[in-house]
Amino acid sequence: MAIEPVALDAAPRRASAKLLIDGVSKRFGAGADAVQALKPIDIAIGAGEFLTIVGPSGCGKSTLLNIVAGFETPTTGRALLDGKTITGPGRERGVVFQQGALFTWMSVQDNIAFGPRALGKSVAESRDIAARYIELVGLTAFGKRYPYELSGGMQQRVGIARALANEPEVLLMDEPFAALDQQTRELLQEEIRAIWRRTAKTILWITHSIEEALFLATHVVVMTARPGRIKAAFACGFSREADPLIATTAEFAEAKRTIVGLLRQESLEAQRQETAA
Amino acid sequence: MADVAENLSEDLPPARRTARRDRWLGLASFAAMLAFWFAITGSGLWPPLVQPAFLPSPVTVAKTFMRLAATGYQGHTLLHHFLISLMRFGVAFAICVAIGVPVGLLMGMHTGVRAVLDPPIETTRPIPKLALLPLFIIWFGIGELSKTIVIIAALFPLISISAMQAVRAVSIRKIQAAQSLGASRSTIFRRVLLPASLPGIFTGLRVSVGIGVTMLVGAEMVATSDGIAWMALTAADFVQTDIVLVGVLIMAALGYGLDQIFRVLERRIVHWAGRD
Repeated sequence: MAIEPVALDAAPRRASAKLLIDGVSKRFGAGADAVQALKPIDIAIGAGEFLTIVGPSGCGKSTLLNIVAGFETPTTGRALLDGKTITGPGRERGVVFQQGALFTWMSVQDNIAFGPRALGKSVAESRDIAARYIELVGLTAFGKRYPYELSGGMQQRVGIARALANEPEVLLMDEPFAALDQQTRELLQEEIRAIWRRTAKTILWITHSIEEALFLATHVVVMTARPGRIKAAFACGFSREADPLIATTAEFAEAKRTIVGLLRQESLEAQRQETAA
Repeated sequence: MADVAENLSEDLPPARRTARRDRWLGLASFAAMLAFWFAITGSGLWPPLVQPAFLPSPVTVAKTFMRLAATGYQGHTLLHHFLISLMRFGVAFAICVAIGVPVGLLMGMHTGVRAVLDPPIETTRPIPKLALLPLFIIWFGIGELSKTIVIIAALFPLISISAMQAVRAVSIRKIQAAQSLGASRSTIFRRVLLPASLPGIFTGLRVSVGIGVTMLVGAEMVATSDGIAWMALTAADFVQTDIVLVGVLIMAALGYGLDQIFRVLERRIVHWAGRD
């Protein structure tokens, strides 16, 4: 079996965690209209780990990422980076969004140089940094273009390069490939894997796609329908494999079957909630 | 089947052919209007169907324009009338941009500022500003000030509210992205909020250019002795329809010209607008 159940909040993992989600829950609103989005969640992510969270729509997985990013505050618990409580957004946590987060009024080059500039680096140095990351994501010929002149896949490359240009310790990715077609998505997944291996970043990745989760991650978390909590967590070995066609093996199919089974009940529950509301 | 489709589509891609056709249709529509005007006024070729006192022919209007351009109207050159109107509009517009845009941006960013400024702007917005002109004349005299203020009164709410809405429509994701990249509040304002609001601000400016030119008519209605709108209004008192039409056409050209300038600026400056 290529995936194994794992306790993500076990004491040794917590002790050595790069990123620690410690009893984080989230409730929106107050009184009778309040919605419990997340039940208390404990996840420890070690340095260099690639953890994906899969869950049905509305399970609160994006809320969890927003809390780690510092865009929202948890109702209970806290998120910690290197033992320090996260209180707001910060350059040590780079965020890649699904779409629509690029600065449409800036060229690709200026988008990527934005972070270094914001950190006080000179224009020339920021431009050099941007050039490096433009090359890393294979957009060398497009530095002077504007985001609207690029395809969806290329735009996501810009988003990734922009987040990487600040050399964050952690990358937070909120369904970054959800709006892309299957072929583009698969190619970008391979590239993300290569970038992750080369840079050894710690990555927290939210996705709808079970295959994407298994293909990329060292750890996969399955969440329940709202209010979201951890239903199951697995350590996963496919991302260490060199074979780009690993997703076609019987082992992969078996792992997928396990997670599809877990997720199916939750998706049905999520659908029931939606139609009831 | 494929052959038929290919034969039909000549060399140009369909979108460009449609655009070319639409340009011709636009010109044709304009030409038809002009031809109709020629026809019913005779233009010296046949007896006019409409009394020249009601509607002079385009030829007469063109001649009147040449005459006014050479000799002026009521003691001022035509250029003077044009420039004084342009100046009244320009000063009012510039003041509105210089104050209205920052005020709108502040209203969009701070709920407190919005709470203070929204009621006065929203409650006075439906008042036809021309109706306030007599009051402005009592308050600010019969000079340039009251004329400028009546135009400002019409444009300010438009410009400030469009700036406010532009800021509020900026996607939270872009702001969050900037925050995660370590941007300070002032950097976020300068490099994210402001540029992201520019398309909305431009829309407000273009709308107010049209309305500002219209407001000239009101501003020059009383207590003045120059300006293009004043010229048209005065000529109307003497049933000098040809001069009225010259004034109207100059104002139309002014409005159209300013709009074109703003279109060009818009395409240059906010070329990325609406293409997220």
